Amino acid sequence: MKRYALILTAAILVSAAFATLGAEDGATLHGYGRTKVGALVNDGSYFLTENTLDLRLSYKTGDASFFANPVLYEREGTVALPDLREAYIDFKGDAFDLRVGKQQIIWGKGDGVFITDIVSPKDLSRFLVPDFEELRLAVTGARVDLYLGPNSLELVWLPWFTPSVAPGADTLWAPVLPFPITPTFAASSTPALALENGEYFAKYSFMGEAFDVSLIGGWFWNDTPAYAVTAKTFTPSVGLTALTVRPEYYRTAAAGIAASGALGPFVLRAEGAWYGSKRCQGNPMTYALGYAEKNAVQYLVGADFSVEGFNFGAQFIQDLILEHEAGLIEDAVKNTATFVVAKTFLRDTLTAEIFTYVGLDPLNALIKPKLTWDASDALEFFAGAYIFLGTEGDFGRYDDNDGVYIGAKLSF
Amino acid sequence: MNVFAKRTIATLAAALISVTAMAAEPSGADIMQAVYERPQGKDLSGLLTMTLVDARGKERVRSIKQISGNFAAGDKKLMVFQSPADVRGTSFMNWSYDAEGKNDDQWIYLPALKRVKRISSEGRGDSFMGSDFTYDDLGARHPSEDTHKTTGTESVDGESCWVVESVPKDTKNLYSRTVTWVSKEKNVGLKRDYYDKRGTLLKTLQIAKIESLSSVWVIRQTEMKNVQKNTSTRMEFSDVVIDSGIAEDAFSERAMTRGL
Repeated sequence: MKRYALILTAAILVSAAFATLGAEDGATLHGYGRTKVGALVNDGSYFLTENTLDLRLSYKTGDASFFANPVLYEREGTVALPDLREAYIDFKGDAFDLRVGKQQIIWGKGDGVFITDIVSPKDLSRFLVPDFEELRLAVTGARVDLYLGPNSLELVWLPWFTPSVAPGADTLWAPVLPFPITPTFAASSTPALALENGEYFAKYSFMGEAFDVSLIGGWFWNDTPAYAVTAKTFTPSVGLTALTVRPEYYRTAAAGIAASGALGPFVLRAEGAWYGSKRCQGNPMTYALGYAEKNAVQYLVGADFSVEGFNFGAQFIQDLILEHEAGLIEDAVKNTATFVVAKTFLRDTLTAEIFTYVGLDPLNALIKPKLTWDASDALEFFAGAYIFLGTEGDFGRYDDNDGVYIGAKLSF
Repeated sequence: MNVFAKRTIATLAAALISVTAMAAEPSGADIMQAVYERPQGKDLSGLLTMTLVDARGKERVRSIKQISGNFAAGDKKLMVFQSPADVRGTSFMNWSYDAEGKNDDQWIYLPALKRVKRISSEGRGDSFMGSDFTYDDLGARHPSEDTHKTTGTESVDGESCWVVESVPKDTKNLYSRTVTWVSKEKNVGLKRDYYDKRGTLLKTLQIAKIESLSSVWVIRQTEMKNVQKNTSTRMEFSDVVIDSGIAEDAFSERAMTRGL
């Protein structure tokens, strides 16, 4: 704690110096300090103790600007770890923007769902517990935006591959592995830094009266690995007794569309994407490599509306594996829904929100209520919960992980 | 409708009002139409400082960069929050249309989500960022949405004003009626009272400062008081620039995400 206080003090002194510089040189500094404590409902044990210092430094001169988002995390009593969430240089032209460096690139129109949001990988080490901003990982590369009236074209080149972060096997959020026995893991295969291993993305967008639309495409490495079977032992009358798998990141392509529009009191949105040659895990006794390559489709339809100051949103999401085979672990069709209701009180100083994911087959859910109170413009207190319902499925499998948390955030 | 057409209509309306006044009081609808058609300039930019005062007198200040423009199909407005720190970078864009009955298009950008989201414009009666203004209060309400009648002539801060009572045609509107004191000289509402659905006075709007810039009357300072909750919101518009040539393309997703 003493160490954290020292780091915090140093950061504030640097911030003050930067702010002084900013008065004359177009530099700005903002950020926040935040503390969060969470406990499991089952046994009262802490599953979340977290202190964060998040700084946003920017410097602008003419048509160029620099932005950096250094962060200090202290989690579960560990040493405060520095991280650089984003750091990039911007060039602004008359009809284009160029951004080079480490950056988050967020696409799509869905809430809490990542269908055409194919560029930035996710940090799922704590499942869907962190705020969405912290769920995203930055990618390193160049992005150019070209503008013509209400049309824009975004091109992204990522020479450096950044994978998603999966929950650790010894954590509360350990994933269920798609194997009949516990496998031995070989070293993962990740793409090397080489010109031919670059990732490429493009998005065309139109923003207009009544509706907005985006078309996306990408040729990239899948952010989450497939597990390729490299060795297995089958013992007669016993079955599979040993299995070695290697996590492999693989090339894939995706194309999709996202649209939203107003219809009377509703804002409707739809989003869909096709993913080529997705590696779907299967029974290692059926599939020599442990997976089969299948094309897949994911789409959503949703609507937002307001009633008496309450804002409601609902989405239906469907995942489809095309030409599905019985030996695959995942079902041919998976249906999920999301619901959100939010309202502010006391002149927008108190915000209540409930976001819910519902898996429809089998029925399971994650309910995330959150209450935020702005004690002042700078100081915010919040409390919330994660409630998992069901016993299986994407959310029900964490039924023992129901938790509550409280925290405070000081913005500057 | 372009600014020339608006000015022409406003001039004609003013002339019509003057001529009619010789014979009789202008109708409430004519007065509110003249207010609506008053020359606004082709575009406008500035810094809006909004001070929210609660019932105990505690103040919260929001600073917002704002640009607006009048184009072929209607008006466009973009607001980017500069402070406080927790909302810095949040932006809100509204496109409203001259076509009668056509709903506004609205978007919001939240820096934490890094995504521009289209939102429903049905919440026109909702509070604007926790203030005493609703989104509807801040917009140019089309006169055809209300029925108007002139109830007399009164003086506000030494200026002779028509008093116009307006009743919303939509019975679901937040207000049962409003009463506006319109300057005969400037075609600007200098004061407005808002009555709730029970017919009780809810809020009062007072223009504290108005200036002529480039032959356009610009409201520089205004205050809305909620007399039932004893809260108020002051709005001050500074660094105002009119007709700087803001292009229609400036009202875009690019400006929302990258700032003004």
